[in-house]
Amino acid sequence: MNLTPLAAGLAIGLGAIGPGIGLGIATSKAMEAIGRNPESYGTLFVPFVLGIALAEAVSIYALVVALILIFVA
Amino acid sequence: MVHVSISAEPLFTIGPVTVTNGLLGAILASLLLASAAIYITRRARLVPTRLQTIVELPFEWIFGIVKTQGGQTWRTQLPIIASIFIVILTANWMSLLPGVGTIGYYTTEHGERVLVPFVRAAAADLNFTLGLALLSFVVFVSFGIRTQGWLGYAKEVLTPEPRWLSPLMGPIELISSISRIISLSMRLFGNVFAGEVLLGVLLVIGPIFVFVVMGLELLFGAIQALVFALLSMTYVVLATMQHGEGHEGPAPVGESEAPIAPQDVPSGG
Repeated sequence: MNLTPLAAGLAIGLGAIGPGIGLGIATSKAMEAIGRNPESYGTLFVPFVLGIALAEAVSIYALVVALILIFVA
Repeated sequence: MVHVSISAEPLFTIGPVTVTNGLLGAILASLLLASAAIYITRRARLVPTRLQTIVELPFEWIFGIVKTQGGQTWRTQLPIIASIFIVILTANWMSLLPGVGTIGYYTTEHGERVLVPFVRAAAADLNFTLGLALLSFVVFVSFGIRTQGWLGYAKEVLTPEPRWLSPLMGPIELISSISRIISLSMRLFGNVFAGEVLLGVLLVIGPIFVFVVMGLELLFGAIQALVFALLSMTYVVLATMQHGEGHEGPAPVGESEAPIAPQDVPSGG
């Protein structure tokens, strides 16, 4: 029985949970801050994009693991 | 069934150099950029024409961001950061053109008939993103050495604040510096490659969805280009920050200037 597809699916599926929650929290806080003070948009933009990029990187690692499981291992 | 190849397929060889379809995509993007640059700068006007406005738009955007967030060395950083941004943006958007990844020749691989495209999205080839990440690494290390000297930068990396924790934190800081190469390259590669695979799968399931996802891919291509450029900029800022200026924020804004009045805060991205 070939369990590799299951392993790859679990890798990306479980790996995407944390970054998903993190991205939601980060975005909601950023929206809150912009809602309170619309002028903070300019200063918030760069740290926000960097933060979500770092959070998203974790799910990309999971994706890479899944890809390695399928294509390399 | 969708055929997915994680590495770029070789097309032909020129002497010792194997030209893959990913390399061809990168070369085409560079050629487009170079010819656009030559064409636009020959006809540059103070009052820009329509085409000039379009070309200047992404540059002005990244210029504004680097100027406000780039620390004291923003002027010297700007050419390399803006180049990284514009190259990745062009490569990502070019990969959405019809024919990229779809026009090619058939070959037999493990008894299966597979399509080898002539041009592949440049950033869907790990070599391209790894090259850019290595460039970014060299840039932030050389900026650190230039502002703090060899010894100063080595001291900053190996003995971070607080000093008494440096036997523990030094190796961590060193590894985190080096792992930036992996995370930068893998982030861009993963995003673009996943986008390509998603488009391929959707083409089989229901071609009508491809339009929606292509719109999203335009957005993601721009965001990933921005993220790569911004992270490179932040690493440079971290490397050029002197001791005692604080390590808490990744992007010091206007350090040597007077405190910014609320109405002077730069608005817009």
